Amino acid sequence: MFTDPLLWARLQFALTSGVHYMFVAFTLGMAPLILVAQGSALLRRDEARLAAVRFWGGLYVVNYGMGVLSGLVMELQLALNWSGLNDVFGHVFSAPLAVETVAAFFTESTFLGLWIFGWDRMNRWLHLACFGVVTLTAYLSAFWVLVANGFLKNPVGFALRDGVAVLTDPVALVTNPAALLAFAHVATSALLVGGLVMAGVSAYHLRRGNDPDGMFRRGVRRGVAVASLALFPTPAAGGAQYSLAGAPPTSGLTLSSAEIAEIEAARPESTMVLAEVGNGVMTLCWTVFFLVLPVALLAWLVRRLDRWRWLHWLLSVMPVLALLAGVAGWLYRELGRQPWAVWHHMTTAEAITPLSVPHAVASFVVFTGAFAVLAGITWWLLVRYARRGPHGGPLAPAPSGDDAPAVPVHTY
Amino acid sequence: MESVAVVLLLVLLGGYFVFAGSDIGLGMLLPYAARSPAERRRLIAVIAPYFLGSEVWLVATIGVVAGLVPVWEAAVVTAQWPVFVLLLAAWLGRDAGLWLRGRLPAARWRAVWDGAVAAGSWLLAVAWGFVVAALVGGGTLRPGVTLVCVALVVLLFAVRGAAFGAERLAAAEGVGGAEPGERAARAFRVLVRAGLVVVPVAAGVLWVSAGAAPAVVVAGAEVVLAAAAVDAGRGWARVLSALGMAVLPVVLAVGAELPAPAVERNSLLLLVAAAGPLVPVMVAGQVWLYRISRRPIVGSGFFA
Repeated sequence: MFTDPLLWARLQFALTSGVHYMFVAFTLGMAPLILVAQGSALLRRDEARLAAVRFWGGLYVVNYGMGVLSGLVMELQLALNWSGLNDVFGHVFSAPLAVETVAAFFTESTFLGLWIFGWDRMNRWLHLACFGVVTLTAYLSAFWVLVANGFLKNPVGFALRDGVAVLTDPVALVTNPAALLAFAHVATSALLVGGLVMAGVSAYHLRRGNDPDGMFRRGVRRGVAVASLALFPTPAAGGAQYSLAGAPPTSGLTLSSAEIAEIEAARPESTMVLAEVGNGVMTLCWTVFFLVLPVALLAWLVRRLDRWRWLHWLLSVMPVLALLAGVAGWLYRELGRQPWAVWHHMTTAEAITPLSVPHAVASFVVFTGAFAVLAGITWWLLVRYARRGPHGGPLAPAPSGDDAPAVPVHTY
Repeated sequence: MESVAVVLLLVLLGGYFVFAGSDIGLGMLLPYAARSPAERRRLIAVIAPYFLGSEVWLVATIGVVAGLVPVWEAAVVTAQWPVFVLLLAAWLGRDAGLWLRGRLPAARWRAVWDGAVAAGSWLLAVAWGFVVAALVGGGTLRPGVTLVCVALVVLLFAVRGAAFGAERLAAAEGVGGAEPGERAARAFRVLVRAGLVVVPVAAGVLWVSAGAAPAVVVAGAEVVLAAAAVDAGRGWARVLSALGMAVLPVVLAVGAELPAPAVERNSLLLLVAAAGPLVPVMVAGQVWLYRISRRPIVGSGFFA
C-alpha cells in the first residue's frame, strides 16, 4: 500500500489542503468583523476601540502568514503532483485559478502589506479602505477557487478537442451551481467560524475578569450575533448542494456509462466510510453550535452574558470545533467525489503525475513535515497572543513611546 | 492570442524578477550587511512589508501558466520536478522566516529565522539558476550550462539586493547608522565587478551549448554592469540593477526551448474580463506599497 505514489500524493494533498483551509476559514471569518470594528472605531473616533482592532488584526495577520505559506504549496503542488489533471483539464480547471492568483490574491496581499505597514503612517480612512480591499479580495479569492473546485464536482462548460478539454462556455463555468452553492456554504460557515473565534477569545478573557475598555464585552456580543446569524444559512447552503447529486450534464463525453459504472463499482469501501465520518463530525459540531448559541443569546437577553463563567468556558472551546467542522466538511466533499478527480471524466489515479515512490515520499516528507512544524508554531502563537490580550500583540504600538527609539542607533 | 498570453507572462515574470529580486537579493546579503541584532532587525524591516507585494508576481505567473498555457506547466514545472521542489522549499523557508522572526523576543528564535531568510534567499536564487539552465538547455541540466546559469542568476539577484540595500538602509535619524547601507553599497561595487567577469563567461558557454540568441541577451547584461561600474554611486544603481534582472525573462523569451503554446480564447477572455477591471487597483496598490515602504521604519513593525 505504501509503495503506491498515489497514496502519498493524496495524503499530502489532503493534509496540506486541510491545514490551508483552517487558516483560510479564520481569514474569511475574521476579515468582515475586523473591517466593521475598524470602521466603527473611526466613526466614533474611539481610541479604545481602535486598540481592540489592533488586537484582532494582530491575530488575523499571524494567521494570514500561514495561510499564504500553505497556499503557495497548494498552488505548486497541483503542478508537481497532479499534472494529469492539468494536462487534460488545464484550460478549464486552471483558468479560474489563474484569475484567483492575478486578480484576487495579488491585490489582497499587496493591500494587506499596506494595512500592516500603514498603522499610524497613513490617513485613517485610507487605512480602513485598504482593509476593505483586503476583505473583498479575500472573498473574491474564495469564489474563484470554488469555481475551480465546483468544476471538479460538476464539470460544465467544456468540450473535448483531441483529448484536451477546452472552455466553451465561461459563463456556465462561473455560474456553475456546484461553485455558487459551495461559495455560499463557505462564506456563511466562515462567518460562523469568525463569530465563534471572536466570541470564544472574548469569553476566555471575560472568564478571567479581563476586559480592557469593554473590548471583550463587545467582542462576545458581536461574535455571538454574527455566529447566530450564520448558524442556519450554513447548513441551508450546504444541504442545497444535495440537489446536484447525480450525473453531471457532461457525463458520457469522455467515458461511456458502462465504463463509468465499472469505475464506480471498484470504489473502495474505506473512502465512503471516511467521507461519512467527515459528514458526521461536521454535523455534530454544528449541532453543538445549535445548542450553545441560543443559550448565549438567552444569557444576553437576561443580561448574564458577561457573568456566567460556565458559559464563557463553553464559548471558549467553540473556535476549535468550528475549525474542525471546516476540515471535516472538506473531507466529506473531496472524499465523496472519489474515485473521480473530475466527476465522470477523470479518476484520481489518472490525475496524478507519474511519480516514482521515492519522489512521492520525498515530497510528502518535505512538505507535510514543514507544514506540521509551521502550522504548529502558528497555532501556538495564535493561542498565545489570543490569551495575552491587547497588550504586546503583533500590531500593538511601540511599547516604549516616542521618546526612546526602539532601534538603538549604533556608533562604532 | 498566443502572443497576448506570452507577453502577459513575460510582464508578470519580469515583475517578479525586478521587484522580488530586491528583497531576495537583500536577504542573501543579510549575514554580510547586517551584523548586530539591531542591524538585522532593520534589514528585515526593509524586506518585510515589501515582499508581500513582490512575491505575488510569481504566484500570478504560475497561475497564468497553469490556466492559459497548461503545456508549459507540464514542460517546465512538472518536467523539472526536483528543481521546483527545491524552489518551493526555499520559498517556504524564507517566507516562514520573515513571518515568524518578529514573533518572539528571544535572540535564538530570531537567529533561527534570520538564518532561514538568508538560506532561503540563496536557495531561491540557485533554484532560479537551475530553472534558467533547464529551459535554455532544452529540458536537461547540462553541467556547464547549469554552472554558468546559476552563477549568473545568483549574481544578478545579489546585485539587485545590494542596490536595494544601499538605498533603503541609508542612515536616517532614529532608525540607525550608516554601516549596513555602506556595506550594501560596497557589496554592490564588488559584485558588479565580479559580474563583468562572470557575464562574458556565461555568454560564451551559452553560445556554444545553447545557441546565439540567449548568449547575445546575456551579453547585454555586460553593458548594464559596465554602466553600473562607471556610475559609481551617482544614483542609477536601482535602475541598472533592475535592468540586470530584466535580462532574465528576456533570456527565457529568446532561449527557452518549449512546446508551442496553445492558448484557448475563452480561457483568455475569462482572465481578461475578470482580472482586467482590477488592474488599476493592483497598480495603485503596488506603487503605493513601494513608495510608503521607502520611508524609514519606526519601532512598531509587525515583522521585525
